[in-house]
Order: sequence, then C-alpha cells, then structure tokens
Amino acid sequence: MAALGRQVLDWHRLIPLTWSLIARQTTRPGEQKRTTAFLLRKLTMVSSGGGLGESPSVEPQKYAQEPEHRTGLTQCLLEKQRTAVEREKVVSSLLDMGFSDVHVNELLSIQPGTHPQQLLDIISELILLGLNPEPVCVALKKSPQLLKLPVMHMKKRSSYLRKLGLGEGKLKRVLYCCPEIFTMRQRDIESIVGVLKEKCLFTVKQVTEILHRCPCVLREDPGELEYKFQYAYFRMGIKHVDVVKTDFLQYSMTKTKERHVFLERLGRYQTPDKKGQTLVPNPLLKDILRVSEAEFLAKTACSSAEEFGVFKELLAREEEESEGRMADAGSPEEAGP
Amino acid sequence: MAALVGRGVRDMLKRADFMTVPRRQRHKKKWAATEPKFPATRLALQNFDMTYSVQFGDLWPSIRVSLLSEQKYGALVNNFAAWDRVSAELEQLSARDFVNEAIFHGEPEPENGQTAAPPPASWACSPNLRCFTFARGDVSRFPPARLGSLGVMDYYLMDAASLLPVLALGLQPGDTVLDLCAAPGGKTLALLQTGCCRNLAANDLSTSRAGRLQKVLHSYVPQDVRDRNRVRVTSWDGRKWGELEGDIYDRVLVDVPCTTDRHSLHEEENNIFQRSRKKERQMLPMLQVQLLAAGLLATKPGGHVVYSTCSLSHLQNEYVVQGTIELLANQYDIKVHVEDLTHFRKLFMDTFSFFPSCQVGELVIPNLMANFGPMYFCKMCRMT
Repeated sequence: MAALGRQVLDWHRLIPLTWSLIARQTTRPGEQKRTTAFLLRKLTMVSSGGGLGESPSVEPQKYAQEPEHRTGLTQCLLEKQRTAVEREKVVSSLLDMGFSDVHVNELLSIQPGTHPQQLLDIISELILLGLNPEPVCVALKKSPQLLKLPVMHMKKRSSYLRKLGLGEGKLKRVLYCCPEIFTMRQRDIESIVGVLKEKCLFTVKQVTEILHRCPCVLREDPGELEYKFQYAYFRMGIKHVDVVKTDFLQYSMTKTKERHVFLERLGRYQTPDKKGQTLVPNPLLKDILRVSEAEFLAKTACSSAEEFGVFKELLAREEEESEGRMADAGSPEEAGP
Repeated sequence: MAALVGRGVRDMLKRADFMTVPRRQRHKKKWAATEPKFPATRLALQNFDMTYSVQFGDLWPSIRVSLLSEQKYGALVNNFAAWDRVSAELEQLSARDFVNEAIFHGEPEPENGQTAAPPPASWACSPNLRCFTFARGDVSRFPPARLGSLGVMDYYLMDAASLLPVLALGLQPGDTVLDLCAAPGGKTLALLQTGCCRNLAANDLSTSRAGRLQKVLHSYVPQDVRDRNRVRVTSWDGRKWGELEGDIYDRVLVDVPCTTDRHSLHEEENNIFQRSRKKERQMLPMLQVQLLAAGLLATKPGGHVVYSTCSLSHLQNEYVVQGTIELLANQYDIKVHVEDLTHFRKLFMDTFSFFPSCQVGELVIPNLMANFGPMYFCKMCRMT
C-alpha cells in the first residue's frame, strides 16, 4: 500500500509534465501513442475521480468482473506503468541537464528500442565530458549506435578521454568527425596516441591538440601516420609546432605529396637546410594544403591545371614503381641524342 | 750543411697542398655529421637554377619540373622491318606519327586548295622518317622494342625531339653524309632510315661509345643496307675532320658533346657536374666550336650542316654557332649562312614546345604536356 501510495505521489508530480508532453505531441506511431493514451486515461480518471487515492484502486475494481484476465493484463499494465515512470524520470533528468523539449523528443526517438535509463546513462557521460545539449543531440542523431554501448564501457572510455585532455568541450569536434572514438577498441586509440607521443615526439599537450583538431587521425593506420609525420618533419622541414598549428596530419598523404613535390620540382619549395634556411622563402603551408586546387595552382604554384594533371599521373606512377621496386618495364634501351 | 738541406725539405713539403691548408680548415672527419657528399645531380640542378632562371625567367619553373619528371619518348619506326605493320600496331596504341602529321597537315592554307603542296627544296624535311608519339598530355609508355621477323628490331625508342635535327638537315637521295659525334646512334639510325645516304660516315671519339653505335646499327639495319649505304664507323678525333676529309660532304650533322641537361639531373655515374670534371665542363664551349668548325670544313661548298645539343645553355648553343661562324670567316675566309627555321618550327609546334626567343636556331624546351627535349638545333649552309 505504501508503495502504491508512493507511486500515486509520483504520478501527482508528473501530471503537469505529462500534460505538456501530450500537448506538444505530434503524431508519433506505436508505443509512444499507446503510452500517451494510457497516461491520458489515467489523467482523466484522476481529475474526475476527485480522490487521488481512488485511482490505483480503479484498476482492480474495473477488472473485478473478469478474474481470468486479471493476472496477465495487470502484469502488462504494471510493466507499462514502470516503463512510463522510468521514462518520465529520464525526461525530467534530461530537462534538468538543459535539454529543451524538442531535444528530449528527438533523443527519445533516435532509437525507440533503447531503454530510457540506458539513454540517460549514455547522455550523462557525454554531458559530464563537457558537451553541451545541442551537440549531444546532433552527435547521437548522427551516430545512434552510441546508444547501444554498455554503460561501463562508456564510463571507462570517458575517463580515458579525460586523461587524454579531451574533456571540457574539446570533445565536440572529435565526436562530430569521429564518433568511433567511443566505439573503437581502446588499444587502437592507444596505438595512435603512442605513435604521436613516442615515435613523433609530440608533447602531451600537442597530442591533445592534434586529436582535437584532426580527429580523423584516429582512423589512420599507425604506420602511415608516422610516415606522414616523417614526411612533414624531414622531407618538408616542418617543425612540431607547425605540424599541429596547420592541421597537417588531416590531409591525405597523396594530396600532400602531389602538391609538395610539384612545388619542389617547380623550384618554389625547398627543404630547409640544417640551419632552417632556404634560398627563397617557402610558401605558407596554408597556401599549399588548405586552399582549393584552383587557388593553389593560381597563387602558389603559378601553373596550369593541365600541367598539374599530367604531373599527378607521373607522380602516381613513380610512387607505384618505387614501391613495387619493379624493374623498369617499359623503358627504352637508350634515350639517344 | 744539414741546416740548409733541412730547410729545403721543409720548403718542398710546404708546397704540397696539404701542408699549406691551415690545420683548422681541413675537413675534420670525426666532427662532421655527414661526409661533405654533394651528388653531382644536385650540383647540376644548382647550376641550372642559377643560369636558367636568368636565361628563361618565368618559363624556368615549368621547364624545371619537366626535366625532373619522366620524359616522353617517340618510337622511330624501322623502315628495314615490316614498317607498315609496325605503324598500324603503334596506331592501335593511340599513338600517331607526328612527322606525317606535321608535313601533310601542318601546311598553312594551301594556295589553290591542294592538300599537300610540296615544300621548296631548301627547307624540305628529310624523307621517309616515321616516328610515333602519344598525344599531348598522354603519359602512356611504349612497350619495349621487339625483334621482328626480318631479324631486325621493329622500332627505336628515343626522345622524339632528337629527330628534329635530322629532319631539319633535309637529306636528299644520293647525299654523302657525315655524323661527326654519332654515338649512341639514334640520330645515325635516323639518317639511315631516310634511305638517302650514298655514304654515311659515323664517328665518335670514344671507342666504347662507337661500339654501342655499331650494336645499334647491327640490330636495326640489315647487312646489305649497311653495305649499300657504305656505312663507315670510326673513332677518330672529330676536331681533325677539316684536315682529314675537307670539303667532301653534302650534309653534316654535328651533335656535340654537351652537359646533357636532362641526363645530368638523374644519372650520377660519369656525371659532367662532378667536381673532378669542372675544368672539362668549362672547356665544353671551346670543344663544341672546334667540332662545329671541323664539320663545316668537311662540308662541300653549298652543303648543309646542322649543329645540335641537348642542353638549354646559351653558351653551348647560340654562342657556339655565332662564335664558329665568326672563326671560319676570320681564320679561313669561309662564309657560312644560318638558315631560318621558322617555317620548320611551325610544322612541329603542335607536338613540341619551342622557346620563342632564340637568336639563331631553334630550341625545344621540356613541358609537362610535351616532355621532350631539351634539344637545340641550328641549320647552316656553307656558302664558300
């Protein structure tokens, strides 16, 4: 009885919220409608009944005439009550966290099969990591598979990300570009971080910065990531600070090589010597990698699209052949003057 | 007495280079992080950056990137093999005969509507040359040449620009021809392909290179043709030809040793930009003048000479031509006239990229769309 009483009180508290939920209700098929209808019925019974104490007793009285259905239906209804109650708890928590009603609707409908508590737990972790409500919604809509993650895994991963310095709002960009940061294996993240710290010798702060700005590095093969760094550092003479600042690691190796080698052979880019000097100033990295191809050709390379097109083909072939270490298959016997 | 001797020895030792270099400036191997190894190919590039950026200005970057990237080849069809079948096969690959296209489609508006007006004899191209290339911007490669059923190779892969000096020389049937610096033999082979040579003298100073030339001729030209053309291969000093065989030849090709610009950027072995060959390199223009002079002296009055190099350098190209003409006028009282190749250049403009501002002669410059050359050539007529 006491338990039921508590339940009644809960209901009492929830009624205004439920009203608002119903009031804003757009047509939502399935379970939602049934739950709403059920809640509505409860509501009208309460308001017309006058006594709150009456409502719980309505059920048994109503079904008094049909004893054979009582167990199954009661269980079903109690089930529904429980789910509905939990759901309402979750909704209230979400609203407390700062989600708008619209957000709450969206979140609840991303994966209708998700248990509300599961939803809340996952969302809570994201909020605790410093994400704002709007980004959480966007991220979850984009990657609903996140809702399926076991909560323990979620907690562990969150704490690891905090250790990496990716709490307090830094996570937003990472989550947008690379939602796998939660689903991928711990050791895969560790191997990327390991490459950056031990092989490339970035500082801890720089590693955080890289993960924050170029989350796609998490998807790369560790060996290729290391090669990319070595290309920047040794071949192009770019220092650690600039590798981070210019988001060098996000560009594909092919694109970087094409543009860099083109400039180098044109004589417009020179690898700095031991003292870090070049005969002519090198173009800024942003003018090499960040700009569109058209702007790169017009401003930096000062060359034509057709020449660059041919160059790309020749370079691709050179790369292929040096990799395969093929003996020059099609070369002539002699190129004669 | 001993003191005097001692002093003498000390002086002698001082004179040796090693002792005169202050100790602090000698290379200290144990402190150097790397040996001062600067590959010759890199020295070559430095040299070119210095000279050609001035000589070519804004054109230099596009030439530079082309020189450093894979060059384009032409397939010179061997007329002594089944050339019509070979031509058809090459066309199947989407290559086309640029010589044919230039001569028969390159003519400006014909006078009276005829499609192939024969050009005047003075600037006729050497006949019977068929050379296939892929279209502009097409980087396909030719398969390696194969031995045909007649026992000779089907085509010879070469820089298509190398054919231009031979085309410009304008051989005519029955000509006596001299190729003064013939090795490794691409241009010599082309001369034979014309079918015009009554005699062909092919010479190269280096015996090993002359050997390579022999091999090329053996692989491409059947014995009876070599006999008929009276092909003679020698390895004498080309500078002596004026004395050896003066005033004899109708057509002379002087394809001189030069800094082989493209080759020097890629091959380290025997590279002329090695520090040890600096003197030799600096003496090149003088050697080139001597060779061109010899070639002109070996030409009969009224005969023609083509001078060619595979370098971009003014000093090895126009400078040598102008210097030699002056030399011949002053020292030998021989008048030499430079022929204008403007019309010739226009015929081949679609296939090659030409430098627009040569004082004398023509220069094919490498371009990624047509990565042939460098090839400089200048045609002269010995008037007296």
